Amino acid sequence: MSDLKTIVKEKLAGGADAFLCLKNEEGTVLPALITDADSPDLEFVDVGESRYPLGRILIDLQREYPDKRFAVLVRGCDERALIELSKLEQIDLDRLVMVGVACSTEEAEACGCPRPYPGDIALGEKVEAAPGREVIDEVESLGDAERLGWWKEQFSRCIKCYGCRNICPMCFCKDCALENPHLVEPGVIPPDFPSFHIIRALDMTGRCIDCGLCEEACPADIPLRSLYRKMQDIMEDKLEYRAGGSVEEKNPLSFLGTEHDIEKLEQE
Amino acid sequence: MAEESKKNDEEDIRILAFLCNWCSYAGADLAGVSRFQYPPNVLDVRVMCTGTISPYFVIKAFQEGMDGVLIAGCHIGDCHYLKGNYMTAKRFQVLREALKFLGLEEGRLRLEWVSAAEGEKYADVIRSFTEEVKALGPSPLRGKKAAKAEVGA
Repeated sequence: MSDLKTIVKEKLAGGADAFLCLKNEEGTVLPALITDADSPDLEFVDVGESRYPLGRILIDLQREYPDKRFAVLVRGCDERALIELSKLEQIDLDRLVMVGVACSTEEAEACGCPRPYPGDIALGEKVEAAPGREVIDEVESLGDAERLGWWKEQFSRCIKCYGCRNICPMCFCKDCALENPHLVEPGVIPPDFPSFHIIRALDMTGRCIDCGLCEEACPADIPLRSLYRKMQDIMEDKLEYRAGGSVEEKNPLSFLGTEHDIEKLEQE
Repeated sequence: MAEESKKNDEEDIRILAFLCNWCSYAGADLAGVSRFQYPPNVLDVRVMCTGTISPYFVIKAFQEGMDGVLIAGCHIGDCHYLKGNYMTAKRFQVLREALKFLGLEEGRLRLEWVSAAEGEKYADVIRSFTEEVKALGPSPLRGKKAAKAEVGA
């Protein structure tokens, strides 16, 4: 098995104009764009344990350089994000080479990812992990009024830092609903219950790829990942779609569909 | 005294109804001209198509202290824009489940197909929905916002 440095050189020699990955410069992990094989950054490229939504940088890069081919280092979650972003017309997969990294056992267990490996694995060994469902089960065991109280308590810790949105690999809108004064009153902390969080949850429906960065970023430890995970379960249950799965399958909320689909839906 | 205020609350139940311009609004109109009786707890919002109703609107309605939200549009296949209500049907499924997970009673949100000829159905829907929401009582999300909305109402 070759190391990342060799892979970067290979890809640059093999038709990619630049390689996007992370570098670890004496303990400081940063995104790095490597454009030639003599780059000093090449010494510091590192898979490490850090995760970063490189897709967000890639959206800008592809827009800025429409004729360039990029190679990018992806974990399982990054790959799902790029697939979903391509369906949302943000990423062009044809101009992209993905170099897959499988997460290690410790990483996979700590993260609780449903699929901690990409389709093509260039680095690391494939391991399986089971996503945690404790929070969802806990909430579902409560009655309506208790549930509302439970969420209210969780959301009351929110300091409206927008960290969940800012780190989210799937967020790219120029005008964010969360900053719309008609939907979320400006200058109020904690934000309106439940609109702030339910708006984000609804936007994540059929879109969240369950990377868990939102929950990692949240300074108030709000169980956001479980909320969005439940939204994906609803989506799969009702509309038979899970974000980030296949490149071909379209999000049912992105097209109108056929009368047959709707009749089936209504009969349930 | 306490009983009296509870009774007032029940009478104060407010329901927001999104009605599509081509079917349900005309249906409501027919219910009116036909003099069908139905409870006065409903505020209508006429929209061109139920497909234009963003889930945000529904969230906003609950946020502002509405006790129930009704979405009424053309029957599947009868949409003035051919397929606008397909999107409503899909979104509604997701929205209802999301609110359920959050802990808002399922009965507070309803989707109905009411055509322009169904004045009686419209009155029936409003009657049964109002009854259902009244049984649930005022929305737990009513708060300071609700008092503000009262002034405007």
